[in-house]
Amino acid sequence: MSVNRSGKREGTIKRRDLLKALSVVPAALIPFGTAVAAEQQTSGSAAAAQAATAYQRKVFNGHEWETIKVLSDLIIPADERSSGASQAGVPAFIDDWLNFKGGKLKAEILGGLTWLDLECNREFGHDFAGCTLSLQKKMLDRIAYPDKAAPSDLNYVAFFSDLRDLVASGFFSSETGVKDLPYLGNRPANEWPGCPANVLAAIETNLKKHGVGLSIAPPGEPAKG
Amino acid sequence: MANPKTNSNVYDAIIVGSGAGGGMAAYVLTQAGANCLMLEAGGWFDTGTQSKWGAWNYDAPHRGTAPPDTLFNAYMGAVGGWQVSGEPYTNAPGTDFKWFRSRMLGGRTNSWGRISLRFGPYDFKPYSRDGKGFDWPISYDDLAPYYDRTEELIGVFGSIEHIENLPDGKFLPPPKPRCYELVVQKACEKLGIPCVPSRKAILTRSHNNRSHCHYVAQCGRSCPMGSNFSSPTVLLPPALATKRLEIRTNAMAREVLVGPDGLAAGVSYLDKKTRKEVQVRGKVVVLAASACETARLLLNSRSSQHPDGLGNSNGIVGRFLTDTVGTHVNGFFPVLADLPAHNCDGVGGMHLYMPWWNYGKQLRHELPFSRGYHIEFGGDRRMPAAGTFKGTEHFLEGGYGADFKSSARKLYGASVGFSCRGEMIPNEHSYCEIDKNVVDEWGIPVLKFHWKWSDDEILMAKHSQETFREIIETAGGEVTESAGPEENWGISRGGEIIHEVGAARMGSDRNTSVLNPYCQAWDCKNLFVTDGAPLVSNADKNVTLTIMALAWRTSEHIADQVKKHNI
Repeated sequence: MSVNRSGKREGTIKRRDLLKALSVVPAALIPFGTAVAAEQQTSGSAAAAQAATAYQRKVFNGHEWETIKVLSDLIIPADERSSGASQAGVPAFIDDWLNFKGGKLKAEILGGLTWLDLECNREFGHDFAGCTLSLQKKMLDRIAYPDKAAPSDLNYVAFFSDLRDLVASGFFSSETGVKDLPYLGNRPANEWPGCPANVLAAIETNLKKHGVGLSIAPPGEPAKG
Repeated sequence: MANPKTNSNVYDAIIVGSGAGGGMAAYVLTQAGANCLMLEAGGWFDTGTQSKWGAWNYDAPHRGTAPPDTLFNAYMGAVGGWQVSGEPYTNAPGTDFKWFRSRMLGGRTNSWGRISLRFGPYDFKPYSRDGKGFDWPISYDDLAPYYDRTEELIGVFGSIEHIENLPDGKFLPPPKPRCYELVVQKACEKLGIPCVPSRKAILTRSHNNRSHCHYVAQCGRSCPMGSNFSSPTVLLPPALATKRLEIRTNAMAREVLVGPDGLAAGVSYLDKKTRKEVQVRGKVVVLAASACETARLLLNSRSSQHPDGLGNSNGIVGRFLTDTVGTHVNGFFPVLADLPAHNCDGVGGMHLYMPWWNYGKQLRHELPFSRGYHIEFGGDRRMPAAGTFKGTEHFLEGGYGADFKSSARKLYGASVGFSCRGEMIPNEHSYCEIDKNVVDEWGIPVLKFHWKWSDDEILMAKHSQETFREIIETAGGEVTESAGPEENWGISRGGEIIHEVGAARMGSDRNTSVLNPYCQAWDCKNLFVTDGAPLVSNADKNVTLTIMALAWRTSEHIADQVKKHNI
């Protein structure tokens, strides 16, 4: 509700107009809990695609950018549900994030990339990005599993854990990732129906499976505090 | 054209601040027939056109991460933050007070959490109960009718629960619990902790020409549909409609002007656009600039009649500042992993919460701290943001590739965080004063903060850390983030919970309070305060509802006194 200086409620958004502006099908037509077709959501994808090609690197040089692309797609590859991380804009996210945060994280990621090339050259005679897939995986296997890593690799385990976090965060918070999970929110609805029956049932199954000793009420019965 | 400095217009009331208390004063006073001038330090804000409601995190820089010194999210409906450019404050050595300011029409009512809990009877008489802190000069019964009216005006959802020291209100129906909330509720039930519907100033039914909520959990961005409470949505429109309210924005109040009789005569402010002083005249001055800003104004309002600041003859202004006790624990819940996709948005914030349940134990001295806290909690099946998948190797033991991608998906929504919101006992070491060495960019001396938690608050934080661990483990979960004794159990910094109140407290004794039981300055009968400054204590209930109820009562008293020619 907006208020102008004379107190008139002007520009009051009518619900119909708001829903139209968001290109969202009115709630009455969306069965709750169903993954509504992604096309029905307002998509910034055209703008996002343009932005992706226009992205100006702030931290990574050209070679680091290429290495990050390769690493992103190794960490989160394409699968039947969605594209890989680089197509979802993760390299731009990481570059921007390191510029935004700076400090130890930026140093760690740049240092980790430097080490990765150093180590791959020593072991395999090529930069990381120039190695075959199987050699790339061999290198990552050394630093991707904290519990199994050699003590001398621990600094680089830390680097890879932080890189993995960045790729995961960058991917799942991208437009691609949001649809992949899927996050089903940001959809105006007239009613809030509570917990869907199928999710309730799944939780109940999990409670039993994990031997938790709790049981949650079936739908329709208000749970008492 | 009149020189603005010597404009002869004399308003019936000048109100400093357009937030919860200022908005309520304007609402009540204009209805009572007063011509009011409202001064707001920030700019105009129109939620209808300026809210970022509906925007995606991925369309914002850094996936919507809040810039440094601001809060939560880049789309937050707050102009300002912990640091306001050109308006510094200072901390005494050893103090790290955090002061959140939102410089916009409606102030922090645009972005607040909407949690609306009435103080209970115990909360007005804590000293009588346990010998600590101070009693209010009024009781719950004095304020109950104003709680009723405030809830009916603004629209609050909740449920009738008959819980000790938690008065039930005039409620709209509460929204049903989210899936993960049902799990937490069951764990609490097993532990004997009540877990009931929350109470929030969000509409679940259309109310007074404002639309009901549309359940996208973005209240903090401010709501263009008017479905949650903010001062510009609920209080200012009817006040403006009386044609008896003028609002000036970008007006930074500097001091209250005093006449030869020692009474308030008006306000001096800096017009932020011209950087020039403007003086406005009023028969009554109402300060609602937020607790610490009000204290600052009083302290900076020096005259021969009030050499130590207006209302400060006893040195109490700025003193007995309190904030809510906060601490936080995160847990990972295997039973919430790998669930069918579902929407967890709902209203902004928790649909269920846990009110304090240990009054009995405290009466029997079985706990090492004297006051209570309530528990808020939230899961993370939210709009993904930059931090959404941090720390995955903790659960997945590392890895990368197709397996990692499909396993990470399953973790989405499996974490829940718990926070306590507890009562602080006012103490001698927590206060604000004027820093004699620093001015802001408007030439106004700034505040300097002093802060100290007592053992009561620290042991409360310990208890809540332990309680959260119990709840998480009872639900088959694992604590992933907590705090121990070396960090004082993760107790928040002063001001960090943004419920800072006190600093111009009301009382029945003019030697130990700034305001009388009607929030009228003992030293200056036409000066009133309607923000959080008068609050004598800071219960385990978020303060905005109480600020508004008290502001309504105070404003009615102003109208009554004016009618009787007493002021």
